[in-house]
Amino acid sequence: MKRYIVLALAALAAFTSCKDFLVEAPRLSQSDDLTLSTANGLDQSVAGAYAPLASTAWYGADFIIINEMKTANGKKYVGSQHDSGRLNEEYQLNYSENNTSALWGYGYYVISAVNNVMDNLGNCGDEALAKNLKAECLFLRALSHFDLCRTYAQPYNYSADASHPGVPVVLHTDPTAKPARNTVKEVYDQIIADLTEAEGLIDPSYVRAGADDRAFASIYAIQALLSRVYLYAQNWEKAAEYATKVIDSGKYTMWTKDQILSPDYSSSVYWEDTRKGGEVIFEVYGHKNNSYDGYHDGISPMTTPDGYGDAGASMDLVNLYGENDVRGGLFLIDPDDPGVIWSAKYAGKGISDPQVSNVIVLRLSEMYLIRAEANQRLGKGGVQDDLKMISDNRGAVAETATLTGIYNERAKEFAWEAHLWFDLGRTGRAMTRKDVISGVVNKVEWPSYQWAMPIPLREHNVNPNLSHNEGWN
Amino acid sequence: MKKIRLFFTALAVLMASVVASAQTLEVHGVVSDEGTGEPVPFAAVRVVGTTVGATAGADGSYVIKVAADAKLEFSSVGYKSVTVPVSGRVVVNCELESDNVLEDVLVVAYGSVKREAVTGSVSSVKGETLASVPVTSVDKALSGKLAGVQVTATSGQPGASSQIRIRGISSINASNAPLWVVDGIPVVSGDVSGMTNTSNALTILNPNDIESITVLKDAAAAAAYGSRAANGVILVTTKSGKEGKAQFDARVKFGMSWLQSDSGFRMMNAEELLGYQRDAIVNAGLNPDDPTGPYYRPLSILNGELTNWLDWNTRLGKLQEYEISARGGNAKAKYFASINYHKNEGIAYGIDYSKIAARINADYKLTKRLETGVRINAAYTDQNDVPMQSLYYANPIWAGETMLPWIPKFDENGNHNVNIPTNSYQNPRATAAYDEQWDKSYNFNGTMFLRWEPVKNLILETKNSAETKFSKSRRFWNYPLSYAKSTEKTLQTYRTELVQLTTSNTISYANVFAGYHSLRAVVGQEAQKYTYEYDYMSSPGVSADIPYHGTADDTKTGVGYGYTAETLLSFFGIADYNYDQRYFVQGTLRADGSSLFGSKNKWGVFWSVSGSWNISNENFLRDVKPVDLLKIRASYGVNGNNGIDAYKAYGLYSATQYNGTVGMLPSSPSNDVLSWEKNKTWDVGLDFGFVNRIHGQFDVYSRLTDDMLLNKKVPQTSGFSSNFMNCGSMRNTGIEFQFDVDIFNTPDFYWNVGFNIAHNKTKILNLDGEEKIEAGSFVHYVKGKSMYTYYLPDYYGVNPTNGEALWVTEEGALTNDFNRARKYYAGSPEPKYLGGFNTTLSWKGLQLSAFFEFKGGNYVCILNEGSYLNSDGKQMTMNQTAAALNYWKKPGDTGCNPKPIAGNSTNSSYALSDRWLERGDYLRIKDITLSYSLPKTALDKMHMKGFKIYVSGLNLYCFNDVYFWDPEIGVNGSGAGVYPLTKSFVGGIEISF
Repeated sequence: MKRYIVLALAALAAFTSCKDFLVEAPRLSQSDDLTLSTANGLDQSVAGAYAPLASTAWYGADFIIINEMKTANGKKYVGSQHDSGRLNEEYQLNYSENNTSALWGYGYYVISAVNNVMDNLGNCGDEALAKNLKAECLFLRALSHFDLCRTYAQPYNYSADASHPGVPVVLHTDPTAKPARNTVKEVYDQIIADLTEAEGLIDPSYVRAGADDRAFASIYAIQALLSRVYLYAQNWEKAAEYATKVIDSGKYTMWTKDQILSPDYSSSVYWEDTRKGGEVIFEVYGHKNNSYDGYHDGISPMTTPDGYGDAGASMDLVNLYGENDVRGGLFLIDPDDPGVIWSAKYAGKGISDPQVSNVIVLRLSEMYLIRAEANQRLGKGGVQDDLKMISDNRGAVAETATLTGIYNERAKEFAWEAHLWFDLGRTGRAMTRKDVISGVVNKVEWPSYQWAMPIPLREHNVNPNLSHNEGWN
Repeated sequence: MKKIRLFFTALAVLMASVVASAQTLEVHGVVSDEGTGEPVPFAAVRVVGTTVGATAGADGSYVIKVAADAKLEFSSVGYKSVTVPVSGRVVVNCELESDNVLEDVLVVAYGSVKREAVTGSVSSVKGETLASVPVTSVDKALSGKLAGVQVTATSGQPGASSQIRIRGISSINASNAPLWVVDGIPVVSGDVSGMTNTSNALTILNPNDIESITVLKDAAAAAAYGSRAANGVILVTTKSGKEGKAQFDARVKFGMSWLQSDSGFRMMNAEELLGYQRDAIVNAGLNPDDPTGPYYRPLSILNGELTNWLDWNTRLGKLQEYEISARGGNAKAKYFASINYHKNEGIAYGIDYSKIAARINADYKLTKRLETGVRINAAYTDQNDVPMQSLYYANPIWAGETMLPWIPKFDENGNHNVNIPTNSYQNPRATAAYDEQWDKSYNFNGTMFLRWEPVKNLILETKNSAETKFSKSRRFWNYPLSYAKSTEKTLQTYRTELVQLTTSNTISYANVFAGYHSLRAVVGQEAQKYTYEYDYMSSPGVSADIPYHGTADDTKTGVGYGYTAETLLSFFGIADYNYDQRYFVQGTLRADGSSLFGSKNKWGVFWSVSGSWNISNENFLRDVKPVDLLKIRASYGVNGNNGIDAYKAYGLYSATQYNGTVGMLPSSPSNDVLSWEKNKTWDVGLDFGFVNRIHGQFDVYSRLTDDMLLNKKVPQTSGFSSNFMNCGSMRNTGIEFQFDVDIFNTPDFYWNVGFNIAHNKTKILNLDGEEKIEAGSFVHYVKGKSMYTYYLPDYYGVNPTNGEALWVTEEGALTNDFNRARKYYAGSPEPKYLGGFNTTLSWKGLQLSAFFEFKGGNYVCILNEGSYLNSDGKQMTMNQTAAALNYWKKPGDTGCNPKPIAGNSTNSSYALSDRWLERGDYLRIKDITLSYSLPKTALDKMHMKGFKIYVSGLNLYCFNDVYFWDPEIGVNGSGAGVYPLTKSFVGGIEISF
């Protein structure tokens, strides 16, 4: 009899004594504890944090398309065969909290991903690696805050001390937090602090291994972004200083006019897969294998006649270019549909992959133009030389060394690279366009509520501390 | 000499009684068991008509002072009461007859109790009433049998799973299915299909193996199952051996099934459709006789071959079943063994289900106090099918409804025609003939127990069980796709491995103290581990001649792997007490630890208290003959619902690709406070029984789901859009009533009628502050409304002047613009009442039984058959229902469909509108069986124990107005391309010897 009791008790003990019996961890995905506990996991988490930049809400399509369709660069050929019904609100600036940019979710997703890493870097073990990882995280957090603030807040100069509402600055992941909006100044101060810290941390020779090394952060990407942020914040000395740092690094070279567009129109640096030299300092890499590839809603199908093609270019843009300016050749008239103009900047990566394109975020010519603008405003010299650096490499006539000349050069150089809308905003100029059919918005005054997009309604619903961007329907 | 002694004895008794009548006696004696002769301890001895009583000791002896002419009543739990006149004797011994009649004992959580001792709400059904219904799985047989138990079919396919809801629906995101417990071990239930449309885990349980089923409905009854008890518990007890000579039962069953609508639903024939289409073409301003027009529909079409595709795609289903079982044993060993083969060929080509299930239930007394036993069930299932439950072109029912009658059946070579552009080059008959889609499963459920009674009334028991299911599935598209774009032949295979290990260990004690105090206590521990694993492989481009993965292009082959594990560890206690079979109380406490929940909430505690007052055992009713039972019950308790996917509590990182590297990104937020949904239920009930003929039960309940799990929207500044959190609540309230009457009960003639009805109402109380959550495109969860609520555009009807569809706008005006139609809450698919009634009539060996089931107050939305098959001319490449023939023809026509216009673009037939909403009320003749059993005299001559021959009609007719095959199409009242419930006839012979 006793042996039965022993058996029964043994069976009981086997289950009760096993402390781990109630722990079943998933096998096919990793728990956050595990991922963030090793150097390899932390490294992979930083690599993963770049991925959402390629989403359609961001550089994968809409961040470019929305901000171009709001300006004279974009045109929707309403009623043509390229009208799939998309981009109506974007073109007409007819936003509401129900229908606005989805960047909010993606931007804060990246911020949360890098905050998780930074809060766990103590687990890394490898101090050198930890510094570089932190620099990457700070760069991504700064870029995310910057793009969010550019999208959902009025430009820096909207109020005298930039004390108007920006976006929430999020430095630690807290699932229960309902953050209020920081002021634009606070957001910019944080961005500048993050980038400055990143600059000090990163090994100048460090770059993450990938298909395209310009798609990962480097010390120059950090400096270039800092230069732009200072420009937006109207800190002209610092803007010029950081532009100079990048220019003087010698790491990047100006594209020539034949590189911009070969004389037979058969090749362009815009269609490169990976970068070998040239201007690009930081870009978002397009590829079908990206988890965030947008397929038919990616930037290439949206801006070319082979895809949906709702995002067309306008005659206002084409008219900017002089006769020999190669950049004008990047805006093509559709042979099948005369009267319709396309941007060729995202025409795909040649025959091998017509569906995807890289999207440039920072490049060398911007550094020259930032320095030119900053020096012009500071009354310093060298402005004309910087402007000539651009025009000489584009087969164009140089603009005059005035703010208007610099604005013109920026409009021509960065068309369809999501600059014009923000340049108008940060310099307090209205948006006007002529190549529109009747009923289409042809002017946005400055100031106006329209310079800050509505924050998504779902976010207001769950976070009562967020103030609204008034004025929208 | 003998005579003289007898005389003196008689004289002495006579004298004693004379003396006794005048004085009080001290009577003593021993109460013993009539069968074993052993003393019955602590029996109650009561003087009839007084409150005087005594209690026997542990040795069965008692002493009591009574009047010499008094009558003594002896009673004890488990024995029939006996009244003995004292008649002046001083020694009155009493033998009690065991009251161990099976009907009065109910299987409940972790044990069994006398029916009158039950304090919670339970319903039970006997095995034989289940076995008489010709079904593939036992859940189907429960339909309509028990008050408050709703069994909804989502498919009529052989082997299909069903949706069972006990007392309504309690959750949006967690499970609403009850827990199934077979012979004390929780088992896997629900849909376990691999590649097939549906496959019911419970089919491996042979309905003929079942002794009884008890459904635990309220918190008190189910609380012993803690975190899995919220949606009720279904306890299945299989047959065990019986002492005595071996009995063999052999059964054969044959049946057939067919598709039939009882509401007049049918498709148009070729002539009707052509007339309809020609009118629609003319209404569109076109000429049907113009060969160059977009719609060329000359009358000469009718001269060609015409096909009723629905008839062509379906057939008469066939059912066959063979079974043999043996049951017997002796004082030490008992056994029950059975083997069953079942094959059911469906009403559509390519669909069949077959299984072999074998069972051995054996019990062996190792010593007087130690018993062991096994419950082993092994089954093999083999299921073939074709795509269904979707609007796919190869779905034989859906395609049967849509394919144009003038499409030829065969091509010029005599093969199934696949050159059918209007049906995407698909022909369901070709699919059935060439493609493969099957699941085969190998199932083993084994439980072994050891029961030890070290001292009387104390039982230690351990049950250990393994449930395993291995299945393999294959889908092969071998279809001649020459007309379609792709010519690749694709092979997919899928293998799964399910293992559930359980140990359940209890210590129970039951005794009666001082005659009146009955106590039962159970403490136990249980642990369960569930793992599920699958491998999947897909190979486009395999060779048609060697259709295995090896012949495919390696670079195209895709693989998949999945793994899930869950564990549960529990401790529980149950205590029952009653005083004198009059006042009953029960308390249950269970602590469950689960791997599913957050680290801060791994353990949950569940409990219930209940009580009942058995009024019929009170003195004032004890002798009132007509009242057999009158009992009031009340209970309250808190149960849990752990029916969620594994790993929901974990913050997870998943792999992501970017820029040629693999990185990790957060994929779900961690939730270390994730916890059970809690169901707080109270129940008040009344049980009654009169004149040994009428039995009934009445219950009122309220069931509050608290901490309901919702995908709570969170600020995206946290990095996520939502988190799975315990933040909602809803309530079910209802009443249930069931009764059973033996109208006649004589040896030759018996007539019984039973009836049950239940009303349940769901109400969503809190959606974490949201007013509504959209569940799918047209069913919404709305605060303050029923669980499921349709939200649909308001269709008004046809405009009598021009035949256009009219819609009601937000302002109450009428418009022909669909986009201006108002949307409103148009009703719920949940029934307001449901139930069943049955009657059995027998005369000598002849028996007729009928069983009806009904449901009402609910709405169904026949949206697909409406929008596509009554499309007002929109779908010119699809056949239309006969209802579409009633269309507007001339000004003044009302109450009809809008004017058909070929290529109609007005959205008049739009799927999501209340135009397709219909009342779902029905009354179904679920089962009518006529049987004849040979009388005992004839059987004895043939040396047989039983011979029965019967014929049954299943689902013979369903009274309803839903314009479809059958009004039952899933709990949310809509289904796409369903395999409808069918009608069937089954006949069989059962022999015992």
